[in-house]
Amino acid sequence: MKTQARTARRFLVKIVTAVGVLVAAASVTFFAQLMVPGDRATAILNEQTGRAQRWTPAQLAPVNHRFGFDRPLIVQYVSYVGGLFRGNLGTSYTQYKPVTQVIAAQLLPSLVLTVGALIAAWVLALAVILLTGRRGRFVTSLGSTWEALTASLPTYWVGVVLLVVFAVEFRIFPVIGGTSVMGTVLPVLTLAIPLAGFLGQVTRDEFDKVLEQPFITTARTRGMSETAVRLKHALRHSVLPAITLSGWALGALLSGAVIAENVFGRPGIGQVLVTAVNTRDVPTVSGIVLVVAGVYVVANLLVDLAYALVDPRLGAS
Amino acid sequence: MTRPRNLRLPASIAGVAGLLALSALTSGCSPSASAASGDTRVKGGTIVYGHEQEPPCLFGGWLQQAYIDRNILDSIVTEANDGSIKPWLATSWTVSGNGQVYTFTLKPGVKFTDGTPLDAQAVADNFYYWEKGGNSTAKVSMDPYFKSAKALDATHLQVTLTKPYLPFLTMISQAYFGIQSPTALKRGAKANCDDPIGSGAFKVKVWKHGQEVILVRNPNYTSWPATALHKGPAIVNEVDWKFLSDPVERYAALTTGAANVIYDIPTVDWKNAEANYQVTQYITPGKPVSVYMNTINGVFRDKLVRQAFAYGANRKAAAQAAFHGVIPYEGNPSVSRATPGYDAAVASAYAYNPAEANHLLDQAGWTKRNSAGYRIKNSKELDVMFAYPAGSVFTSEGATLLQILQQQWKQVGFNVKLIPETQAETFAGKFSTPTSYDAQPWYWTSPSAAILWIVWRPSTKANPNYSNSSFYNNEKLSTLIQHGNSAATAGAAARFYGQAQQILQDNAAAVGLYDQTSSIAVAKNLHDVWLEKSQGEPVFEDAYFTR
Repeated sequence: MKTQARTARRFLVKIVTAVGVLVAAASVTFFAQLMVPGDRATAILNEQTGRAQRWTPAQLAPVNHRFGFDRPLIVQYVSYVGGLFRGNLGTSYTQYKPVTQVIAAQLLPSLVLTVGALIAAWVLALAVILLTGRRGRFVTSLGSTWEALTASLPTYWVGVVLLVVFAVEFRIFPVIGGTSVMGTVLPVLTLAIPLAGFLGQVTRDEFDKVLEQPFITTARTRGMSETAVRLKHALRHSVLPAITLSGWALGALLSGAVIAENVFGRPGIGQVLVTAVNTRDVPTVSGIVLVVAGVYVVANLLVDLAYALVDPRLGAS
Repeated sequence: MTRPRNLRLPASIAGVAGLLALSALTSGCSPSASAASGDTRVKGGTIVYGHEQEPPCLFGGWLQQAYIDRNILDSIVTEANDGSIKPWLATSWTVSGNGQVYTFTLKPGVKFTDGTPLDAQAVADNFYYWEKGGNSTAKVSMDPYFKSAKALDATHLQVTLTKPYLPFLTMISQAYFGIQSPTALKRGAKANCDDPIGSGAFKVKVWKHGQEVILVRNPNYTSWPATALHKGPAIVNEVDWKFLSDPVERYAALTTGAANVIYDIPTVDWKNAEANYQVTQYITPGKPVSVYMNTINGVFRDKLVRQAFAYGANRKAAAQAAFHGVIPYEGNPSVSRATPGYDAAVASAYAYNPAEANHLLDQAGWTKRNSAGYRIKNSKELDVMFAYPAGSVFTSEGATLLQILQQQWKQVGFNVKLIPETQAETFAGKFSTPTSYDAQPWYWTSPSAAILWIVWRPSTKANPNYSNSSFYNNEKLSTLIQHGNSAATAGAAARFYGQAQQILQDNAAAVGLYDQTSSIAVAKNLHDVWLEKSQGEPVFEDAYFTR
C-alpha cells in the first residue's frame, strides 16, 4: 500500500511538473514576443496591407480595441493563462479563429511527418551500423563517412535533390505531395537522412566499444552467429545514447519540419509557425510552442520508458 | 534553420534548378507538352494552379488576397488592356459635370452565391465596409475623395466624392473592391476569412490551410465583365489553387504535369519555360521597386549626396545581371512604365556616371577619403544604413543586385551597409522611423499614377502620411499631384503627373531600381488563362483544356 501511494505521489509530481513546464513555455513565449520592437496593432495593419510603416493613433485604436491590446498587460496575460486551463489558446490575430482550430487542422500531418522521420532515421542508422560496424577497415570507414556526410547535409538541399531525382526524373513520387502516403515518403526521407547520420554517429562509437566487451567474446565462444551477436547483444547496449537523442529529435523535427513542408507543398504546423512569427500572431506562436513543448514532455517520458525496456539494469532498480 | 515560407531562393539553388532544367530536356516531352497537339475543346476539368504565397485570409488589402478575390468576387467596373474602363457589375455610368457624382446602373438580377440579391444597396454597403477597415487598401485608394454611397433604387447606385478624382473608376476596378454579400459579411470575420461570398465565376469549396484553396465553378454565373473572353459560367469545373512556395517545386510541378499553370517562373528557368509553355510576364503599375531616401535625417538630407548616390552605380547593368535579363530596370523611381501617365524622359535621368557622382560629393563637402576608401567629412564617414525587406520583397536575386550596387557605391566613396530585415521586423515597423534607416527599397502596386498621392502626400502633424517613407514634403509636388487627380482629362492629368515625377527625380527623393513583375507559365493544352490589367491577377473563368 505504501509503495502504491509513493508511486501515485511520484506520478502526481510528474504531472504537476509537466503542467508547470507547459505554462512556463507559454508565458515565456507570450512575453518574449511582446518585447520584440514594434507593437502588435502596427504589425497587424502592416500585414493586412503588405506595408512596413507607422500608423496614426486613430488607425491603431480600433485594432487595439478589437484584440484587447488596450487592456493592461497583466490582465492580458492572466486572461491568456486562465484560458489555457480551459483549453482556450486564444484567437489568431490573422485568421480570426481559435488557435486550437488553427493548430488542430495542421497537427496530424506534422506528427505523421516527424514520427515517420524518426522511425525512418532509426531504421537507416541501424541498418548502416549493422552492415558496416567493425567489418574491416574499408567497409567501416565507408559507413562512418556516410554518417558524417549525411549528418552535415542541409535539410533544404536534401529535399530539393530528392524532389528532382525521385519526383521529376524518375516520377516515382508526386511533386506536390500533400498528405497522401506516396507524397509523405520524400518529406520523411528529407528529415530522416540527416538525422540518421547523426544517430548513426553516436551509436557507432558505443557499438565499437561494446563489441570489445568480454560478454561479447563469451557469446561468441558459445557459438552464437555474428548477426545474432550484433543484434541481440551489441546493439541493445549501444542504442542508449541515440534513444536519449530521440526525445530531443522529435521536438526538433516538429519545429524544423517547415523546410520539408515547403519543398513538397505539405501542410503542417511548421509553416503555420513561421507565418505566425512573421506576422506577430502571438496566440498562434504561443499555442504552437505549447504543442511542441508538450511533444517534448511526452517524448521524454517515452525515452524513460524505452530506457527501462532496453537496459535491464534499470528494470531491476 | 527555418525559412519564411515566401522566401524565394532561385539564385542560391541555381545549380539544382539547372539540374531540373536538364532533366526536363533529357526526359523529352512532358505529358502536358505532348498533349498540346490536339485542338478539341474540352468542357469541364480541373485546373491545378501552383501559386506562391498563402494569405492569412482570402479577402483583404494585400495583393496575395486580390489574386484569389478576382476569381470569386465581381467588381463594379473593370480595366481593359488599353487602360480604358469597361462595364462589369455596372452596365453603364454617368459622371456629373463637376466630376463629383458617379451614378452607376447595375446589371439586374445578379445574385451572390448565397442567394442574396446583388443590388445597389448591397454595393453601397460594401463601400462603407471598406471605409470601416474591411479593406485598408481600398480605403487608402479612395481617401480623402470618398464621401458617400447610396442606392437610388435597386439598380442605381450613386457615389459622391468630396473633390473630382479622375482615377476613381480605375482605382475601383481593382479586386480590393470586389463586392461581397452583405448577408455573408454579417457572419463575422472568422467566416469571411475562410469563405468570402461574392457573385463571381468561382466560389470557395474548401480551404485546406497550408495546402490549397479549392474553387468550384458558380453554375449560375451571369455577371462576367465586358473584357471576358467568353459569355457564360466558367468552362472548367474546378481550380485547385495550390500554395507552392518553393520555386524548384513550383517549376517541377509544371514540368511533370502536376500543375497546369504556375505563378512566378524562377528566372533561371525562364528560357526553358518560354520554349515549352505559354509564358506571360506582367509589369505591375504603381510605384516600382525604388529606394526611398531619408530626406530629413542622416547623409541624404543633402540633395547633392542623394543625386551622387543615383549617379554612383550602374543600376541598369546590375539589374540586368542579377535577374538574368528577365526583370526590366526602372529608372523612374515614382511610377513604373506600366502606369498611365508614366514619363519616360524622367526615367532616363541619372545614367551611370561615377565622375559626376564624385564631383557632387566633392561639392557637398565630402572631399577626403579614409584608409578604407570611404569619403569623410568633419571626420564622419559617408555611411548609408540601407535596410531592405529580405524575402518578402527582395529575393536572393534582389539581394545580389544590392550587393553589386554596394560595390559600385564603394568606388565613389559610400559605405553602404546592407541590413536585411526579417518579415517580422518589417511588419512590426522596426524600419519605419526617420532614425532607423538612410535608404530603403520598396514597391507599391496601383493601376493609376494616383499612387503618387498615396506615397508622396506631405506629412503634417494633424494628418501624418507614414506611407511617405522618404519623409519628403514638397508643397509644389503636392499641388501638382492633386491637380493630376482632379484633372478633367487623362491628357491633362498626365501632364501634371509628369511634372510631379520630374520634381521627385530632380530632388532624388527616391532612386529607381527595377519594375515589380509577376509571371505565369501555362501548359500548352490549356487556353485563355489571362492576367487582368489592374494588378495582374490570373483569371480562370474563360480557360479551357484541349485534347
